Amino acid sequence: MDLRERVATVIYRAIDEVNSQLPPSDRLEKTRDTILFGREGGLDSLSLVNLIVSVEGLVEKDFGRAVPLSIAEMLFEPDSPFSSVGALGEYIVLLLEGRGVKSQSEVR
Amino acid sequence: MQHLSALLVSDFNLGNFSRYLEQDGDVPAIACKSAPSGQVISALLNPFTDEQRPDFAVIWSSPEHVSPTYARCRDNRDGDLDTILAEVDTFCAAVTKLCLDVDLVFVPSWVPVLETSGSFLLGMRAPLGASRLLLEMNVRLARNLEKTSNVYLLDVTRWMDSAGASPRNPKLWYLAKVPFANEVFLTAVKDIKSCLRGFRGGARKLILLDLDDTLWGGLVGDVGWEKLRLGGHDPAGEAYADFQRALRAMTHRGILLGIISKNEEATALEAIDRHPEMVLKQKDFAGWRINREDKARNIIELVHELNLGLDAVVFIDDSPVERARVREALPEVLVPEWPADCMLYPRALAELRCFETPAVTAEDTMRTRMYVSERSRAALLDRIGSVDAWLKSLEIRVDVEEVDEGNADRALQILNRTNQMNLATRRLNEMEFRDWRAGRTRRSWCFRVSDRLGDSGIAGLLSIEHVDETAEIRDWLLSCRVMGRKVEETMLHVAIDYARSVGLREVRAEYEPTAKNAPCLAFLQRAGFPARDGEHTFVWNAEREYPLPEAVACPKAVWRTADVRAGRDRHT
Repeated sequence: MDLRERVATVIYRAIDEVNSQLPPSDRLEKTRDTILFGREGGLDSLSLVNLIVSVEGLVEKDFGRAVPLSIAEMLFEPDSPFSSVGALGEYIVLLLEGRGVKSQSEVR
Repeated sequence: MQHLSALLVSDFNLGNFSRYLEQDGDVPAIACKSAPSGQVISALLNPFTDEQRPDFAVIWSSPEHVSPTYARCRDNRDGDLDTILAEVDTFCAAVTKLCLDVDLVFVPSWVPVLETSGSFLLGMRAPLGASRLLLEMNVRLARNLEKTSNVYLLDVTRWMDSAGASPRNPKLWYLAKVPFANEVFLTAVKDIKSCLRGFRGGARKLILLDLDDTLWGGLVGDVGWEKLRLGGHDPAGEAYADFQRALRAMTHRGILLGIISKNEEATALEAIDRHPEMVLKQKDFAGWRINREDKARNIIELVHELNLGLDAVVFIDDSPVERARVREALPEVLVPEWPADCMLYPRALAELRCFETPAVTAEDTMRTRMYVSERSRAALLDRIGSVDAWLKSLEIRVDVEEVDEGNADRALQILNRTNQMNLATRRLNEMEFRDWRAGRTRRSWCFRVSDRLGDSGIAGLLSIEHVDETAEIRDWLLSCRVMGRKVEETMLHVAIDYARSVGLREVRAEYEPTAKNAPCLAFLQRAGFPARDGEHTFVWNAEREYPLPEAVACPKAVWRTADVRAGRDRHT
């Protein structure tokens, strides 16, 4: 399994955790295109926080490295790297590959 | 599905807790409403309209919010205990006010929202050690709230422990003002739902246990009782003994134990009697089926013998095959997954959340003894032969008591837990029952039953309301433990004799059928109580007596006392 797939698996596990708090109609699908947050819908702010904190914990557990997602300045911005599952995955891959993401603008 | 409504009051974000409460699949289903965050006292003092009144409330506050002096003291050692306790008293007064409006209130105890960097060494030292202050606050909270019967202080440390090394999550706190990890909320939801089921009469009452590799290590039929792993200087043996101790402790809360085992009965009972490290003795078991038959069939038989429903049962067995069989054949029985390692048995038992009840009564503590007495009665019946002769030989005594503060817990328990001999299956909480009894034309009596083989405690409840010239029986309930001992007839005698003594013309019982109360209808039909308006309305003309059964002594006719409310009202 390559890095992208492993990261996607981690995100899907975090989605399972968040979904356990949500009514069936609000639950997220586990696909790359799923919108997480932004103008087109997705999670409310508390659920997004839960997702990000959960992803952080799972990445640290599975990859042995901390990826500080929740300090990102653009957490609640509509065009943040957390806008979709795919964008979040790419952002985590960049961090894990140590490609020196300094600010959110580099992944937008 | 009917939802219970919950009001959540907190000074921090209870959003995750609220969502878990609503999405948890166990009964009861819950719909939450949160008071505005951070406005604890004003939310507690805010009156409700009838439509707004929740079924229960959870007031989960932080010690820092309730007592700003505690927060200051912890940070700067600036403050004093008296001021802190006065702030706790203010909070408790507001909680007590809410308890007048809401039937059931849960208050989780206090833990700090944030980890503190105060002195560990001096933390428990008076007067201003931070841990010491928090301890004092929690004790004050407990003492204040124990004066109010419909509020329950819940121990949060159990929930914090469930989250392992990280019960607090600083990230959730700084991003969303959620102080605790989600594991804490998940455990809280399980506990609170277990309590709610208990309040609604849904607590499990009977644990049925396998023997080999469940209560002891090894197969008794193969190795003999002398070689079983139980107690002694052996890790597995110690775990089995601890598991037995935990089970025995549960009997003091009114939970019954039984055995369902594929063994030779004589061999198994010899092990129970003779193994020196056996904690549980025969007298600790309400009954057993030890044979080579199908366990599901044995469970049905034993549960029937104990006059319980299958939905009262938990079945514990180390064998996945037996668990699967019982789960499939008897879906009402709770069959928990069971660890393969015996050292995890005590924890697995502690994690079962199905035994909570709002009170432990004297009857609960002696319930197993009552079933053991029942075994003696059955043996006596076998010896004597005729039922009437047997009943006379028992020397049955029924003491009737007006329901009052001293027996109301037990009366309520009967009201909410009895299914079979139950006329109307009216379920009430403490406040509703008290309000009902306060009515000037209403009477409720408890029936305490004993015989020469043992005391069954309070086993029956009868409530009557005067409607015009009629004594309407609202509650007529009898514990299945004493059914068939002429207590049913004694209760009818009391109802009719009471009506006669206050000059009412008739006694009326409206039977409300449920899935479980057919025995009640059968008794009323058998007892010669004439039915009117179809099958379910029974009316007795009070001009006729209903005799007290010969086999029963009922020494004090308290229902005829002159100072009773309803009787007095009729004559004044």
